[in-house]
Amino acid sequence: MAATATFDFREDDRAPVLALRGDWTVDTIASLEDDLSALAARLKPGAVVDVGELGRFDVAGAYLIDRTFRDSPAGKETRIAIRGQHVNAIKLLQAARKSNAEPAPPPEKLTGVVGVLDSVGRSVGAVGEEIIETIGFFGQTLTVLAGMITNPRRIRWVSIVHTMEVAGLNALPIVLLLSFFIGMVVAYLGARILGDFGATVFTIDLVAFSMLREFGVVITAVILAGRTNSAFTAEIGAMKMRQEIDAMRVMGIDPMDALVAPRVIAMLVMTPILTFGAMMSGILGGLLVCWGELDISPAMFFARIAEVVPAQHFWVGFSKAPAFALALAIIGCKQGLSVGGDVGSLGQRVTTSVVQAIFMVILLDAIFALWFLEMNW
Amino acid sequence: MSEEIAIRIKGLVTRFGEQTVHDGLDLDVRRGEILGVVGPSGCGKSVLLREIVGLDEATEGEITFPYFEENDIEPRRGVMFQDGALFSTLTILENVEAPLREHTQLSAPLRVHIAALKLSMAGLDPSAHHKKPAQISGGMRKRAAVARAIALDPELLFLDEPTAGLDPISAGNFDEMTRDLARSLGLTVFLVTHDLDTLHAIADRVAVLYGGKVAAIGTIPEIEKDATGWVAEYFSGPRGRAATRGAAER
Repeated sequence: MAATATFDFREDDRAPVLALRGDWTVDTIASLEDDLSALAARLKPGAVVDVGELGRFDVAGAYLIDRTFRDSPAGKETRIAIRGQHVNAIKLLQAARKSNAEPAPPPEKLTGVVGVLDSVGRSVGAVGEEIIETIGFFGQTLTVLAGMITNPRRIRWVSIVHTMEVAGLNALPIVLLLSFFIGMVVAYLGARILGDFGATVFTIDLVAFSMLREFGVVITAVILAGRTNSAFTAEIGAMKMRQEIDAMRVMGIDPMDALVAPRVIAMLVMTPILTFGAMMSGILGGLLVCWGELDISPAMFFARIAEVVPAQHFWVGFSKAPAFALALAIIGCKQGLSVGGDVGSLGQRVTTSVVQAIFMVILLDAIFALWFLEMNW
Repeated sequence: MSEEIAIRIKGLVTRFGEQTVHDGLDLDVRRGEILGVVGPSGCGKSVLLREIVGLDEATEGEITFPYFEENDIEPRRGVMFQDGALFSTLTILENVEAPLREHTQLSAPLRVHIAALKLSMAGLDPSAHHKKPAQISGGMRKRAAVARAIALDPELLFLDEPTAGLDPISAGNFDEMTRDLARSLGLTVFLVTHDLDTLHAIADRVAVLYGGKVAAIGTIPEIEKDATGWVAEYFSGPRGRAATRGAAER
């Protein structure tokens, strides 16, 4: 098949001759590089390339010959003298001579301490910008939602219901399952620790308190941050990349109306529902552990809850759901709209979206905890 | 022009559900020719290209590479997709380097230089070398995509609407470059295009896809001579006539 590339170098009476043999293609020339650069110094002006016995020849081969000549004392000449006949050697050597194979120097990068400081500074600046942008977007969303209350015809019901199904209803199984397990884990923990004090019955309190006040809503929000937030960002981001959002704007459709508001409304409706499901499922998980491990009957379990856990704890947990929903939907949509033209930025924005969403959920939860503590609720 | 067949398509049928795109299509592409493929939008030109390069599978029929099979060569295929399909995480230079990196043992500096040479042959300014595809214009992306397609000097070059979206001067330069490369390298070029000027300037033969079959094939004068229906309309419409006139003037 491909014949190995070789060459002979003869210093004739008059001009040096470089005779090429075999195939000089991108596959075969790798081994010749060093030999040829060693040869460059000996190519005197007037050197001739003999292509009479050359096999296949391509641009890479031509480039290598051309480069050898450029580096040689014969490099100044405008044309390479060629001896012998070949289908394409002359044309290719000319093409290589005409074209510029010099890659542009890579853009300068700051290195060392300055580089570190530079990148840290940029990151801090970017975080600050991001915070301002997100707060701005939050305000914009609120304005749009308020506008929808005064002008309900702007509400896109189909879109809202669709999002409620995809982002809310379809998440129900996973939310129920995971909080069920968390409920069980909390009950085991309670049984283990409280059992040492002979206070196993307090396991019921522990399960009910933790699921109602914290775990139900936080687990739901974290699952939604991973599942729905990323989907929002990816959907809107892909639309942005394919210029669908520009097309909307040109048509006079406000993406805030068409894309952001329906998602925010759907999340505001669905997150409390999912939260309620998570609370119940978690308590059920706790109940099963109490029943199986601690011999506490379901009747006793519920009687105890009714006795020691006032409804106030349910409302404490439940009231956080809309706040989390708003934060999730707004971060998801905002990051989607910030996607740039390339695939890398899509991936980066989806990551940012999920990280920010989980961060906000925990941060808001901490603020709520502080608030409820101070209010003694 | 040699009579060796580079690509042979026999009895090709492609169906997407109810819709039949190709209905017993036969086509021979000769080695070393530039075959222009035209046809109305949706007639399956791009699908045919995808099937030849192995991205899609035809419902029935076969595609073979007789010349390369006889000579026991694995034909290298360079494809330039309609929108460029450059890797968006790599710079332009790295994009052209990518096939060289995967398929050759060239040293890194030599590889970079060959990539730069290809970019220069495709008419791209060195200032674009270290930019990402998203940072340059559509026309420049096209050139970069061509440079990547010819990076390995492929035996078979597939171009999907290469001159669409280029200004006339760049399109003209592009035509010239394609022709020079094809002639000097003995490339077989499968050129899907709607650019009549390109067809006149560089296509050795033109195949017209219509109704799921090759409705006409030959040089442009041959096709024009006994053209009927869509084919006649295509070549003798105002744009067709203008292109013919332009070619005659050249």
